[in-house]
Amino acid sequence: MNAPVDEFARLLRPRSIAVVGASSSGAGLANSFIRNLQSANYAGQIYPVHPNAAQIEGLAAYKSLADLPKPVDYAYIAVSAERSPALFEAATGKVRFAQVISSGFAETGEAALEARLVAACRAAGARLLGPNCLGIFSAAGRVSFIDRVAMEPGGVAVLSQSGGLGVDILRRGQVRGLRYNCLVTLGNSADLTPVDLVQHLLADDEVKVIGLYLEDIRDGRRFFELLRRNAACKPVVILKGGRTVAGQRASASHTGALAQDDRIWTALAKQTGAVLVDTLDAFLDALLVFQLLTPRRGGSTRKVALFGNGGGTSVLASDAFSRAGFDIPTLNDRALSGLRALNLPPGSSIENPIDTPAPTLNQEKGAIAARILECIYDDGSIGAMVMHINMPVMLSFSDEAVLPNLIKAALDIQVKYPDRMHFLLVLRSDGELDIEAERARYRNLATGLGVPVFGELIEAARALSCLAWHENALARLRDDSH
Amino acid sequence: MRQAATDARGLIAAARDAGRAALSEAGAKAILASFDIKVPRGITVPRGRKPSTCVGALAAPFAIKVVSQAILHKSDVGGVRIGVAANDVDTAVADMEAGIAAKGLPIEGWLVEEMAPKGVEVVIGGTVDDRFGPCVRVGLGGVFIELIADVAFRLCPITRRDAAEMLDELRGVKLLRGWRGTQPADVKAVIDALVNVGGMDGLMLAFSGMIRELDINPLIVGKAGAVAADARIILERSAP
Repeated sequence: MNAPVDEFARLLRPRSIAVVGASSSGAGLANSFIRNLQSANYAGQIYPVHPNAAQIEGLAAYKSLADLPKPVDYAYIAVSAERSPALFEAATGKVRFAQVISSGFAETGEAALEARLVAACRAAGARLLGPNCLGIFSAAGRVSFIDRVAMEPGGVAVLSQSGGLGVDILRRGQVRGLRYNCLVTLGNSADLTPVDLVQHLLADDEVKVIGLYLEDIRDGRRFFELLRRNAACKPVVILKGGRTVAGQRASASHTGALAQDDRIWTALAKQTGAVLVDTLDAFLDALLVFQLLTPRRGGSTRKVALFGNGGGTSVLASDAFSRAGFDIPTLNDRALSGLRALNLPPGSSIENPIDTPAPTLNQEKGAIAARILECIYDDGSIGAMVMHINMPVMLSFSDEAVLPNLIKAALDIQVKYPDRMHFLLVLRSDGELDIEAERARYRNLATGLGVPVFGELIEAARALSCLAWHENALARLRDDSH
Repeated sequence: MRQAATDARGLIAAARDAGRAALSEAGAKAILASFDIKVPRGITVPRGRKPSTCVGALAAPFAIKVVSQAILHKSDVGGVRIGVAANDVDTAVADMEAGIAAKGLPIEGWLVEEMAPKGVEVVIGGTVDDRFGPCVRVGLGGVFIELIADVAFRLCPITRRDAAEMLDELRGVKLLRGWRGTQPADVKAVIDALVNVGGMDGLMLAFSGMIRELDINPLIVGKAGAVAADARIILERSAP
C-alpha cells in the first residue's frame, strides 16, 4: 500500500488543488487556504468544491469532487467529520492526495468513522493525509496552509502529527533563520504515516535535514529499519510527544495515539543516530545547526572554545558545555602566545573560556575581537568556537561602532575559515524591545552567512550536542558497516 | 535461518498445538541451547519415577525444580531446591511433592540440573513492542533489577557493539568488569548471549511472531563462560 517515492512529489508540488469546505461568505479555514494559495502565487489550478455556490473566492466552484473537470493532485477538505467519507463517492481517480482537516475521528473515539474515511479514500484511489490536521507547506510548490510564512525555499523538511505545532515550527522557526523545504501535518495518520513520508524525504536531495514531531509512529518497525539504512547520512531530529504517562493520556485524546514504551525512543536514537529532543525550542535549534553547519565526518566535535564578555556567564557556560559532554581545554601554546602578545587589559582571561570584559572589547572599537579570534583559530584541535556577546552591556558602555565590529569579526572569521571549526554566535539580550530588534537584525545577517545564532549559551550547548551526537553516529555507523 | 532454529520451531509449534501459553523450562532451555546459549546439564524426571535412578550421568550438587504448567513461579510454591547432594535427591523431591500436592497443584515431573558455577547474576530479556517489534534488554540481577531498575534496552537487531554499549550503560557494570579486587567476569560471554538473543540471527528475530516474551533470569556469569540457570519463554497467542 505504499505509494512509490516519486508519488509524493505530486503532493508537495501539486499541479492542481481542490478545496472542499470553503463558503461563499469568505469565512472559514478553507477560504483562508485559498487566499493563502493566491497570495503565495500558487501557479496551478484551484478548484473550490461547493454544493450550490457558483463561485468561491472569485473562482468557479464545482458541485462535488466527482464533478471536477480534471483529476487533482491534492484536495484540501474541511467539512465536518461525518460528511467527509461521502465526498469520495463516485470520485474514483479524481484525487491523488486528500488531506482531511476535520477532527472528530479516532481521537474522540470515532474509530469506525475514521475507518470508513480510509475505506472511502482507498475506493476512490486517493491517499489520505490526516484526518485531524491543518494542511501542508511547500516552498517549491508555493502552497501554504497558513499566512505569515516565507516562501523562500530551504533544506529543512518537517512532518508533524500536530497541526498547531506545525504552525509554531514554521513561524517561530523562520524567525530563527530556518528555511523550509516543506512541512506536512499528519494528525491521526490513519492512512499515510510519517514513515511513508520519511522514506520520500530521505531520498530527496533537496532535503538536508528532517524534523519530526511524533505522537504515534504507527509502523515503528519500518521506521527503525529506514533510519538504520540511512546510517545517519541525513540528520533526523525527533521531538516525541507523550513520553510520560500524563503526556500519553493527552496524546490519546489529541491524535488517538496508543501508549508506548518510552525506552524505545532512547534506544532508537542510540541505534540509528537520530537526534532526540524534548522541547520545541531545542527542536528548532537542532534543525538550525543542521541547516547551517556541515557535520564533521572524522569523529564528533568535542573541544570547544568559549569567547565573550561576562565572567559569571563564562563560568556558567563552561558548566553548560561540560555537562553537555564537551571539553573546554586550555588552548595550545601557539594560540596562547598569540593571545599574550595582544597585551589585553587586566581583567581579561586568555585561558579557555576567553573572558574579555567590555573595556577589552572596546579596544580598537571592537576590532580587537578579530585578532583574538585569529589567535584562537591557531589551535587546530578546537572543534567549535562559541562567541557570546552581552548586547545591552556593549551598547551601554561602548562606542556605537563596537557592537557591529564585534559581529563583523565573528562573521569574517567564519567566512575566512569556513571548515576549520563550527562557529556559533550567542547574542544575549535583556529582553528590552530595542535590544531585541537589534538582535533580530544581527541574527538575520549571521544566519544568512551560515552562522547560527542563539539567545543563551545553554541553548548553543544543547544545539551543538545534537550536532555532535549526529557526528558520532556518522563515524560509528560507518565503522559498523565494515 | 540456522538449522537449530528450524528444529526449535517444531518445539514451539507442538507447545502451541497443546494449548500451552508458555514453554516448559526445559523446552525454553533447549531453544536457548540451540542458539548457543549455555544451559546447565539436566534431565526431566516424570512424576512417579524415582529421581535418584535417573540422574546417574549428572554431577551433584543439583538444582531441582517442579515441572507443572499450572505453576508459573516455582519458588513461591516451594517448588525449587538448590545445592541438593546426590543422596538427598529423593527426599528433597518427596518433601516438595507433599507441599505442592497439599496446595492442590498438579505436578508433571521434576527438572534435575547440575548447579551452575558461582558468578555475577545478569538478566536478559526479550519483548515484542506493538509498534516496533522485537526488543532486547539486559540488567544486573538481584537487587539491581528490583531496586534501581538498572536495565539497558534496545530494538532488535543489535550488533556486538550495541551489546557492549548496553553493558556499559549499567550503573552496576563494575560488578562484571571487576571491582574491589574481585576478578572480572566473562563479559564476552554476556555479549555473546545478548547477540544470540537480540542480534540479526538471534532468537527474538528468528521467532518473530511466535515468541511474545523471553526471560533469562539469571544468566550466571563466571570467570569463563555464562550459564542460563533459569529461563522462561511465553508464546504469542495467535499463529504467525
